[in-house]
Order: sequence, then C-alpha cells, then structure tokens
Amino acid sequence: MAAESPTATGSETGRRRDGFWLLVLWIVLSVIGCLLVALVLGPHLPPGDQSSSAASQQTDFTVLGTIAAPVVIGVLLYFGWALIFWRQQPGDETDAAPIHGNTRITTTWIVGTAAIVLALAAYGTVELISPAGAGAGEGPQPIWKPAGTTTSSLTSWTPGSGNILQVQVIGQQWAWTYRYPQFGGFETTQLMLPVGQPVQFNVTSLDVIHSFWAYTLGVKADANPGLNNVAYTTPEHTGEFQVRCSELCGIWHGSMYDTGDVVSVAAFLKWTQTSKVQLAALTKILPPYALTYDPTNIPAGKINTALGLTSAGGGYYNPADPEQP
Amino acid sequence: MSLPARVATLVVAFLAVVAGVVFVAFEFIGAQPAVENYTSYASGGQVNVTLMTTPETTVTNKPDWVSYFIKNPSTGSFDHTTYFAVPANTKVNVTILGYDGCTPLRNPVWGRVAGTVGGVENVSYFNGTTSSPAQPVQTFDSWANCSVQHTFAIPGLGINVPVASPTTVAENNALCGTAPCVAGTADQAKAPHSVVTFSFMTPKTPGTYRWQCFVPCGGGYVDGNGGPMGTPGYMMGQMEVQA
Repeated sequence: MAAESPTATGSETGRRRDGFWLLVLWIVLSVIGCLLVALVLGPHLPPGDQSSSAASQQTDFTVLGTIAAPVVIGVLLYFGWALIFWRQQPGDETDAAPIHGNTRITTTWIVGTAAIVLALAAYGTVELISPAGAGAGEGPQPIWKPAGTTTSSLTSWTPGSGNILQVQVIGQQWAWTYRYPQFGGFETTQLMLPVGQPVQFNVTSLDVIHSFWAYTLGVKADANPGLNNVAYTTPEHTGEFQVRCSELCGIWHGSMYDTGDVVSVAAFLKWTQTSKVQLAALTKILPPYALTYDPTNIPAGKINTALGLTSAGGGYYNPADPEQP
Repeated sequence: MSLPARVATLVVAFLAVVAGVVFVAFEFIGAQPAVENYTSYASGGQVNVTLMTTPETTVTNKPDWVSYFIKNPSTGSFDHTTYFAVPANTKVNVTILGYDGCTPLRNPVWGRVAGTVGGVENVSYFNGTTSSPAQPVQTFDSWANCSVQHTFAIPGLGINVPVASPTTVAENNALCGTAPCVAGTADQAKAPHSVVTFSFMTPKTPGTYRWQCFVPCGGGYVDGNGGPMGTPGYMMGQMEVQA
C-alpha cells in the first residue's frame, strides 16, 4: 500500500517503513477485530437464537461481520495513517509523487476480492439450503424442507412424530389471525408454538399484500391474497417473540403487530385443547380449512342473498353509478 | 432572463413547493378528528361511552360513506369523530347504537366477541315499532345470516365486538337516511337499529390504542377496505387511555 502512496519525502526507505508498519498494525488490529466480532458481538447480533432459522441467520451475520472486519480496519487504518503521517508540511508547495499502475497489486486486488465474493456466494447458497430456506417464504411449493419431517397428516399432530406442525398465518387489514388445521381447524388471534418442534407456516392474505415477519424467529414470508407461501423454522427457546407486518399495507400498517409465544410441548398441547373447546362455535362457521380463501365468493345465507350480499369483497361501484369514490 | 430574475424565480418556486408540502402535512396528514374526553365523567371505577353507526354521513362532504359517531359527554349530542379518551384501569361500559344494515365479514373469525367482560355482548333490536329484550350473544354468523353491520375492535387489547344489524330485508331497506340518527325526525324515530352493550377494562398504564371495523364497509374501494375504512373519523379511530 505504501508503495503507491504519495509521501512528503517520497523516499523508498520511507515508503517501505510505512508499508511495514501499516501491515503489522493491520494484522494485529484485524486479529483483535475478528475475535471481538466473532466472540463478543456475534452472540448479540439480531435476530438472536430463538429458533433454528434465527440462529442460522445470526451465524451468517457473525461470519460476514468477521470477514468484513479486516477490510473495514484496513480502510480506516490507511485513512488514519494518511491523515496523521502524510500531511502536507507547512511551506511545502511541491506536487506529490505521480500515481502509476502496478500490475501485481491490481491482480492481487481483483483475485482477492473475486475469491471473497465467490466464497460468500457459495456460503450463502449453502446457508439458504441447509436450514430449509432459512426461514424465508419459499412459495406454494417449497424446494427446501426440514430434514426428517413429513406432512403425513394435516388433521392430527403428535410431538416428535416427524409430522410437521402446520400453522396457517392469515393477514388482513390490519391484523393477523392464525389457524391450526391439525387441531380441528380453530382460528385465533394468538400465535403459540411448541419448543423443539419443526413448524410449517402457511402464509396467505384475505385482502392486500402483507408480510409475516416473526423477527426473533428469523421467519419472514409475504402474505399474498390467493397464494400460499410456505416458511419453516424450529423454535429452540421458550419465550415471547414479536410479529410485524413488513409490507406497507395501508394506514394502520404500523400497528399490525402481535406478540407470539414459544412454550413447552405440554403447554402447547394444553392450549390447543382449551382453544379447540372455547372456539368450537366459531370454528363451525369458518370456511373449511384451505391454503387460500376467496372472500368474494361466500356461501351467503338467504337474507344476505335477498339483499344482494353474496360477497364479502367490498366491490366496486358500477361505472354508471352517480356516486363514485 | 437576468441572473437576479432567475434567482428570484428559483426562490419563489422553492418556497411554493415548501408551502405545498406544509399545507398537505397539516391539512391532510396532520388533521385529526376531535377527541371526546370521557375521563372526567368516570365514577366508581367505571365510565359510560356511547357510539353510533350510521349508513350515511350526511354531515360531511362524503354523504355516502358509513361512519361511527361518538356521543359528546358534555352536550349529549353525537359528534362526527372516532377519537375518545377514557381513564386508565377503568371499566368502560360501551353502548353502540347500530343504525346500519348488514354486510358479510371478510373473515368470519371477527364474528366472535372477544376481550369483553364475560366474553359476550348484549343485543336488543328495534324493528321500527318495538324493541326486543337484550340477550347475551357470543358468536355471529355473518355469512349465513344478516347479522353483523360493523365491528368495534381494538386489536392491541384483544377486543372484538361485532355490531349486530337489523335482521330482515324490510328493516335493511328502511335504514336511517340522515346522520346522526338521533330520532329528530319521523323517519329517524322509526329507523330499525340494534343496541349493543358490553364492557371492558382499560389498561393500568396510559397509552393510545387504535380501533377499527373489520367489516369491508368501504363500498367502491379495493376489498372494501378503503374510503371510510381507511379514514380517521369514519370507521377507524383511537382510544386514548389517560392516567
């Protein structure tokens, strides 16, 4: 680096001395910086380790931060060194040494940065595949599924059976509701998950596009009307977690949040049985469980039909209607 | 054009843009409905709040929009606002006079009463001539029956209350035509409506909670959730919980 640097004296000896000390300082500071990022900062990086996907993302951020540390330190060190030691001296009006090409440095820079970028691309791909999509929505037909799980039953669930727990997430302006098809299909505003059990979120919307973001679970999937978006995770620690909408969905978008809870398997099973009983009357009038719903096509009752209310879609005014929004 | 003229033009144009932004911010974004303050009317750890739904909002420049009104605790009149204030850690006894007709919910889950004292609401109906006795109701099926006109929901507190609607075709075709529906005229006095009562506890600490309707009653707008559904003062509002 110093060989390219304009110095006040421009002497070969001075440049070699600068280069040596810059290299020594960079190595020492980089080792310290990498250790601090990996061991001290890393465990506190978001989104935490409450689930398998969150822990995977935290590991990725730690790896990226550790790799980036020497680069950041190198840039700042060189910048600081130039500010302190290569300042223009009072009364010195001479030009600095001319900059010229250096094939060896250029080649090293290109090869080095290309290697880093390609390695990160490979690492990122592995880290997307191995944790079953890394908590992101994979669309209606997910490619990467949690190892050792099946969807053998959509109407019952036993802990540890390999039959993955199904939780449907339904977005609507402006609230989330959750449906549990393996427990009779009840729907509730509470999101409960059992610790240590793989979960399949089936995310959809009844109106506009929302985005289900269970931040500390490391799960984020768009909620599109008429589409099922699948995301996976395995909660690994009990405790509350926040759910937010991360897609601008209207005036109360900022208030569209929930608090979910990861509980023990026993507590989860008890909660499902209690909810199933408490919500039985409501479950009877819900539409049959499906991966998507169309509120514009409902089995309206006799009076509603007589009133012309065969849809819960809001509808549009007829163009000939004198009353227009 | 001379340099001073160009500078002056630039300054004037800049000021015009700034003035426009400020006008929009204050006139449209910053404008808030009036707040009906019930805090000084609480007694014995309780306070009574009365709301009204109307099929039209003839007191505004959006006469075909549905709307909520809130009773002014001082004057007793119904004001066109959806913002109210209540004291913390207080039992709020709510009465909703539901003058609108039925509309199916987009999600039937909002047909269940939640977050109220006892988990129910009490409903009586006025069919134009007589009133039925109040009955506790927990779940409404708005798809099978003409039963729900709007909801009063405070998601942050887990409160959801479907507002019952007049149930027959004839009643739904004889709704109140002017707002607020205060029985000031003959047709208002005969207007079919429901009377919904329920109670809930306010949190122990102050805060602001938004409330909304979950019926897609913004007719003419995408998914029925635009227009009055997305405008403060109509089908959505705020409840301030004060210390």
